[in-house]
Amino acid sequence: MMKDYPKTIVAKDGTLVRLRPVVKADEEALRKFFAQIPEEEQWFLRENMTDQEFLRKWLNKMDYDQVFPIVAVKEDDGAILASITLYRSASPAIRHVVHLRIMVHPEYRSLRLGSWLILDSVKLSMDLGVEKVIAEFVAGVEDAAGAAAAKLDFQQEGILREYVKDRQGKYRDLIIMVRNLHKDWSDF
Amino acid sequence: MTLPSEASNDSERHMKIVVEETHKGTLTFRSHCPPSFIEGLQMESGLGHFAHYSSIIPNVEAFETIARNKAGRVTLALIDPNLIVGYGVCWYPDKEDRWSALGDLMYEMAAVEVSRNFRGLHVGRRIMDLTMDDDFFEDKITYMVGLSWHWDLEGKGLTAAQYRRMMMDLYSLYGFREVYTNEPNITLKPENVMMTRTGSRVSEEDQKRFRYLRFGIKQPK
Repeated sequence: MMKDYPKTIVAKDGTLVRLRPVVKADEEALRKFFAQIPEEEQWFLRENMTDQEFLRKWLNKMDYDQVFPIVAVKEDDGAILASITLYRSASPAIRHVVHLRIMVHPEYRSLRLGSWLILDSVKLSMDLGVEKVIAEFVAGVEDAAGAAAAKLDFQQEGILREYVKDRQGKYRDLIIMVRNLHKDWSDF
Repeated sequence: MTLPSEASNDSERHMKIVVEETHKGTLTFRSHCPPSFIEGLQMESGLGHFAHYSSIIPNVEAFETIARNKAGRVTLALIDPNLIVGYGVCWYPDKEDRWSALGDLMYEMAAVEVSRNFRGLHVGRRIMDLTMDDDFFEDKITYMVGLSWHWDLEGKGLTAAQYRRMMMDLYSLYGFREVYTNEPNITLKPENVMMTRTGSRVSEEDQKRFRYLRFGIKQPK
């Protein structure tokens, strides 16, 4: 699947952006990218991607078979503008499922970068033989990303009420959205 | 398999012919078929209308029309005496088509199809071999658009995702790569695909114009 990359898109404002898998050499660019994500949003990440040591280890042990991170990179200066990661378990019981996590640089939101990354992930999931793509969004924090997923035919399949706590200790719902690939393919 | 040979007739000077023996009989592949050659041929029964699928080219007359158009190309796979068992057709984009904004730079590999009764014999591959074996393409951005509602999933026994990958693997042999676009038909379903091949003589400027046009921008920054 790596041979299909990079893929170029033109964002709504005309910015040329390249989608490609993360490589080890991205350590510094990734650290800079995540450092610019508001702390309120970083709070909900399951990994501390601004921790240089953690990031280095994460990159060094990366196994594309289970963790497939893709970045949207600005073509003129190589800055990372957005990232999406596909998580796929090695367990045969849930090998047909991938979980997505997406993050877009605050200054580049509303350019549909998230939508292109989600679409790219769905296409990649098809190539991997995945049947179900799952994305989780924190209510009131990641609503824009949830809306982008909805436009790409992700359906809300559940809400985990008061599942996460924000930095202020306030409970928030976690919205689970699913794109069933296999069902759609048999519609013809 | 015989080597391609140039036809002697001047009007058919670009025609290349390959003959191949298969367990279904002798197949003859001809590129650049002119209207006069197509007249009198018939579609084999595995091309046509089925419950969940219809051939993109409905009848022989359609091939004649394509061959008459400016730079319209028809490559046929034939079995004796006069049956079409597969075809490849290409042309310049229609005026209504987004890609026509770049004029003759753009050229569409519009369809490659093989009869249900002749699949698994590499007929599609031979059609592509003959069609793409032409210096003409070095001045073009050649593109193909795969829309899943045209695919014979039932006949192939494949899911749309598998069919998409099969098409991508075939076209990638000829230098095509998937590209993204916001063209509405292509974005309707994620399994839909656009692939392009950039000819070796296409300028950087033209490549840039195409890159932006894919996203509906006619005047690049």
